[in-house]
Amino acid sequence: MSKILIVDDDPDIQEACRLVLEKEGFTVGCASNRAEGLRQVAEVKPDLLILDVMMEEPDDGLTMARELRRGGFTQPIIMLTSVNAAMGITIDRDDEMVPVEKFQSKPVEPATLVAQVNELLGL
Amino acid sequence: MLTIDSAIRDDIAAVVERHGAERTSLIPILQDIKKEHREITDEAMQVVADLLDIHPVEVYSVATFYAFLHGAPEGRFVVRLCGTLACDFAGKTAVAEALRTALGIEFGATTDDGVFTLEWASCVGMCDQGPAMLVNDKVLTRVTPAKVAEIVAEYRAKGADETRQDIVTARNELTYAGIEPDAGLKAALALSRGDIVDTVSAAALKGRGGAGFPTGMKWNFCAAEKSAHKYIICNADEGEPGTFKDRVILRDFPDLVFEGMTIGGRAIGADMGIVYLRAEYAYLRAHLNEVIQRRRQAGLLGKNVGGIAGFDFDIVLARGAGAYVCGEETALIESLEGFRGEPRNRPPFPAVAGFLNHPTTVNNVETLASVACIFAKGTDWFKSFGTDKSTGYKLFSISGDCEKPGVYEFPWGITVADLLKEVGGAGAKAVQIGGASGVCVPAADFARRLAFEDIPTGGSVMVIGAQRDLLDVAENFLEFFVEESCGQCNPCRLGNPKLLEGVELLKQGTCSAEHLADLKALGATMQVAAKCGLGQTSPSAFLSIVGAFADDVTTRPQRA
Ligand SMILES: Cc1cc2nc3c(=O)[nH]c(=O)nc-3n(C[C@H](O)[C@H](O)[C@H](O)COP(=O)(O)O)c2cc1C
Repeated sequence: MSKILIVDDDPDIQEACRLVLEKEGFTVGCASNRAEGLRQVAEVKPDLLILDVMMEEPDDGLTMARELRRGGFTQPIIMLTSVNAAMGITIDRDDEMVPVEKFQSKPVEPATLVAQVNELLGL
Repeated sequence: MLTIDSAIRDDIAAVVERHGAERTSLIPILQDIKKEHREITDEAMQVVADLLDIHPVEVYSVATFYAFLHGAPEGRFVVRLCGTLACDFAGKTAVAEALRTALGIEFGATTDDGVFTLEWASCVGMCDQGPAMLVNDKVLTRVTPAKVAEIVAEYRAKGADETRQDIVTARNELTYAGIEPDAGLKAALALSRGDIVDTVSAAALKGRGGAGFPTGMKWNFCAAEKSAHKYIICNADEGEPGTFKDRVILRDFPDLVFEGMTIGGRAIGADMGIVYLRAEYAYLRAHLNEVIQRRRQAGLLGKNVGGIAGFDFDIVLARGAGAYVCGEETALIESLEGFRGEPRNRPPFPAVAGFLNHPTTVNNVETLASVACIFAKGTDWFKSFGTDKSTGYKLFSISGDCEKPGVYEFPWGITVADLLKEVGGAGAKAVQIGGASGVCVPAADFARRLAFEDIPTGGSVMVIGAQRDLLDVAENFLEFFVEESCGQCNPCRLGNPKLLEGVELLKQGTCSAEHLADLKALGATMQVAAKCGLGQTSPSAFLSIVGAFADDVTTRPQRA
């Protein structure tokens, strides 16, 4: 079964996503910051990443997505973020600067999350 | 209904045509009318409104907001004497008196022959060479009462502005001087946009304009946005009293600034860069435009910059109109759009919705020059200066009671004591750090460091000698804020006059302990309740002075 890594500094979001995705049969891991996230990506080699934007630094997720792509990580990334509300940021993103497959604002409906994951994993 | 002379109408129509009948052209249009006609009459406002298809009250509200635009008729030569602290220390009061006598008018008035208008200016950025004054666009430094009569006679005799400027800024060795031209730009343009942003983040560069926001992060958010247009704005408003380092950078190293703007433009995906240059620095315009033109000819601006297909980026100069608040980034954007310089609510931040609602990055002059250096010499090199939390070096504008005022570069983390040693500031009883909006640091704290983690600053250091009265200092700053508050929010509009009144009471020895406690509480409220940085920081000097110098300021003998 596919492995999913959640990188988010909010334990509630980690927990909520984990419950929803485990129920669907995925193996789910969590990391709370950029450094730990990078380490786990290397270790666990997830098939899909769910990535928060604002962590220790408000732009950590944006930087980490590029870091991963630069390092050859080609699996899909769903960027899950409340940055819209905090910054007034629009969903329309610059693909070169934000190399992720989906940009999803929080809160996300469980069904939506599952549908997106399935779509990206071709399930 | 006003009846309007057709000659006036034709004249103004020509000005409007030159700039384009757009709202964004309103301030340049009014600037030209003011320059050509020396006043902006009601009729002129009516015609401009008609041509721009806006209500005349919109034109009136803008024309009356800016110190350099207000409607009243002006003489052929407008003399603006700098009123701020360093010029005050250097003897502005005697110069003011000499000007009154020589011209036979009060401040705010125009001579009967229409030749001279006399006004106060908030700070003309010549704090190291005061007393300073502007005559139209020209700057005269180290003016003495004896020189005043001479200057007035010369202008009267020649009838034209032929005076030579005499700006001589003392400085130490600046890193900028050793940076190879366009090496940074070349290195940056070889990188992907993401790598440019990540390099700036890796250098841990923080904004040099005062607030110290991480530059890489600012660019990251703006770059992440998708938009048909984006803008990078160079904030060259430099209105903070006691700050004049951007003037030196713009005069001596403009290429580094334009390089930084181009690198930032590439990173965020901007198609236009705008330099917002304060009105008081009008004399820098011609040179800056020449440099921009040279860069266009060299293929460093324009289409496919640096040979990168699709990277179209140009830079234009915009001029301020004499309002300190327009240094605040959202007020600056309002001003560029042709409105009063009133700060906006956030969010949305300019990175998302800035100039004309497009994603916009606003950076200080020095921040942009530093970007060029980082790409020329590398992040490790940059981080070899300064401290962990404050990387690199900083330009300090040093003025007041010291032997060698000027613009000095030091690595972040230098102590106040060491800095004073470099500029001959022995015996100071305090230093005001960060300009009028900064804090007053007493001699007992001179071991503290200038760094974001200790005393953060845009680099203004005003040395306050033993002979000075700190209540005069507080008074000077509060007069400045009363004048420069945009008046939009109550804490700032009403709070500053109240604090100023409190300083007068302290001076007269009639401020009760209860009232002082109320004033401190008022200051604390302003720090959290004011809408923008102006009102939030305007009580800082007052609060630090009544805090650190309580024994002095609360024990004045009662005056009648
Ligand atoms: C009242 C006020 C005046 C300001 N004036 C200036 C200024 O003259 N120059 C400047 O660079 N920043 C000024 N700022 C800060 C800007 O809002 C903004 O933070 C800065 O331009 C960002 O550039 P940086 O991150 O490169 O420092 C001012 C802020 C306030 C509240």
